[in-house]
Amino acid sequence: MNTLPLGISHILAVFYRQYIVWRKLIWPAMVTNVGNPVLFLFAFGFGLGRFIDTMSGVDYMSFIVPGMIAYAAMFAASFETTIGSFTRYFLLKNWDAVLATPVSLRELLMGEVLWASCKAMISAISVLVVGWLWGGIPSPAGALISLPFIFLSAICFSCVGLTATAYASGYEFFSYFFTFWVTPMFVFCGVFFEISRFPEAIQIIAWILPMTHIIAVIRPLCLGLPIDPIMIFLHTTYMFVLCVIAFSLAHKKMRQKLFD
Amino acid sequence: MDAHPVVVASGLTKRYGDVEAVKGIDFSVPSSSCVGLLGPNGAGKSTTMRMIMGLSTLTGGTMNVFGEPIQKLSRENKARIGLVPQETNLDPDISVVENLELYGRYYALPIDIIRERVPRLLDFMQLSEKSDAPVNTLSGGMKRRLVIARALINDPDLVILDEPTTGLDPQARVLIWKQLLDLKKQGRALLLTTHYMDEAQQLCDNIIVVDGGSVLDEGTPRELIDRHVKSHVIEVKKPHVAKSTDGKWEQEDIGEAILYFVHNPEDLIADLPVDATYLQRHANLEDVFLRITGRTLRDN
Repeated sequence: MNTLPLGISHILAVFYRQYIVWRKLIWPAMVTNVGNPVLFLFAFGFGLGRFIDTMSGVDYMSFIVPGMIAYAAMFAASFETTIGSFTRYFLLKNWDAVLATPVSLRELLMGEVLWASCKAMISAISVLVVGWLWGGIPSPAGALISLPFIFLSAICFSCVGLTATAYASGYEFFSYFFTFWVTPMFVFCGVFFEISRFPEAIQIIAWILPMTHIIAVIRPLCLGLPIDPIMIFLHTTYMFVLCVIAFSLAHKKMRQKLFD
Repeated sequence: MDAHPVVVASGLTKRYGDVEAVKGIDFSVPSSSCVGLLGPNGAGKSTTMRMIMGLSTLTGGTMNVFGEPIQKLSRENKARIGLVPQETNLDPDISVVENLELYGRYYALPIDIIRERVPRLLDFMQLSEKSDAPVNTLSGGMKRRLVIARALINDPDLVILDEPTTGLDPQARVLIWKQLLDLKKQGRALLLTTHYMDEAQQLCDNIIVVDGGSVLDEGTPRELIDRHVKSHVIEVKKPHVAKSTDGKWEQEDIGEAILYFVHNPEDLIADLPVDATYLQRHANLEDVFLRITGRTLRDN
């Protein structure tokens, strides 16, 4: 089943399944993926914002909004392809049901990634709108231009989450994933302040994490600041390569787990 | 009988690490017939079914499904197989109809064909009244029927049923049997595993008994009964035994009693002491199963 050409309708069928289940359970999903980052935004914007007027010469609220947009996308995509995907695979046996049809494993995983990325976009756009209404987006046009980059980062976060799911033997495994992958991206990648304030060792770690790259692209865009196209190219290439590696690993491991 | 088998397996082998779950088995499933794969837990039945679905790679041997090697099974042919898995893996949060419609999408069926088929399948499995009910409100029997309906969404030529009626009440089982026989009449091939010997006897044209990854015997239910347990079983309570002890009777000691397998019960009864207590009945597939796979309890 590995050699089949990809069928868009099969990928979309997997996507559609997540969509109709999401529609039924929309409120808890919204609380996690929209409520959570918006709460962070208010807490840090109001709380920290009272003590910090500007960060790197930028109004603190405007500084933090792009970071929270990236965080919202990262968290939603990571959560969906770990806890969400693992539940479908392990608990609901939904993947067994899907793979008994002509849908291939690759299409199934792509459907999972596509859905998680779209869900991440809902979160990111919600935070963007709240941030804009609150006056934290100096350049709405730049914010719109940043959307495709956010989508690419969401695919990247989804693929990495799926790799964790492929290697997970139980829900406990995701403690490692959230502690050593999601949380570092929240605290070390420039959501709240410039990473240049960290010691060099931590800066190196920060640049390994894709979160730093997406923030480096969308923050100047949302602030309406100039950004070097070459840097955009390098950041997106890094995220793209990570996508490909993570997806291949997830597919290979899942094949072994399911079929061998 | 149709000359084109739907599934042909030969020397089929599956190894997990050092454990050989399936040890070179041969079998075929012709169209318009039901083949039963019987065996105790851990015999290799589910692994064999997963291999037919392309969900488990072959360690050795060959398997052709619709004339194609399973490793190269085209999407078109994969779509001609419907699976009723042992575990009920429906989507619990959405309705009965939504479950079926969704499954049709996995087959990339046009929506108008799905909309036309779903009510027919619900009617076939007597679930029409539950169309809009969420799946998590259905009884166990309804869920099983829905899983069978779901397996039929693409009008399959081969239906694989892994213990379709386990845990169901007799009414639900009888309904499922009737509908499965109907599927066979429509020309489809069925491959069934079950722990219910009455079910196998009712449905199967041919039975393959497997244990420890190997085929122990194969034949129609009648052939297997004749070969292993004759036509009647006479259970004689100990301490009484038949007077002729020179190997004249085919027998099995089951602890409190001895089972005699005979064609003519009168001959054996004449050979029993006058005060012997015994129970006489027709031999069935359960006797065959226990005879050839043994009475030792299996653990998964």
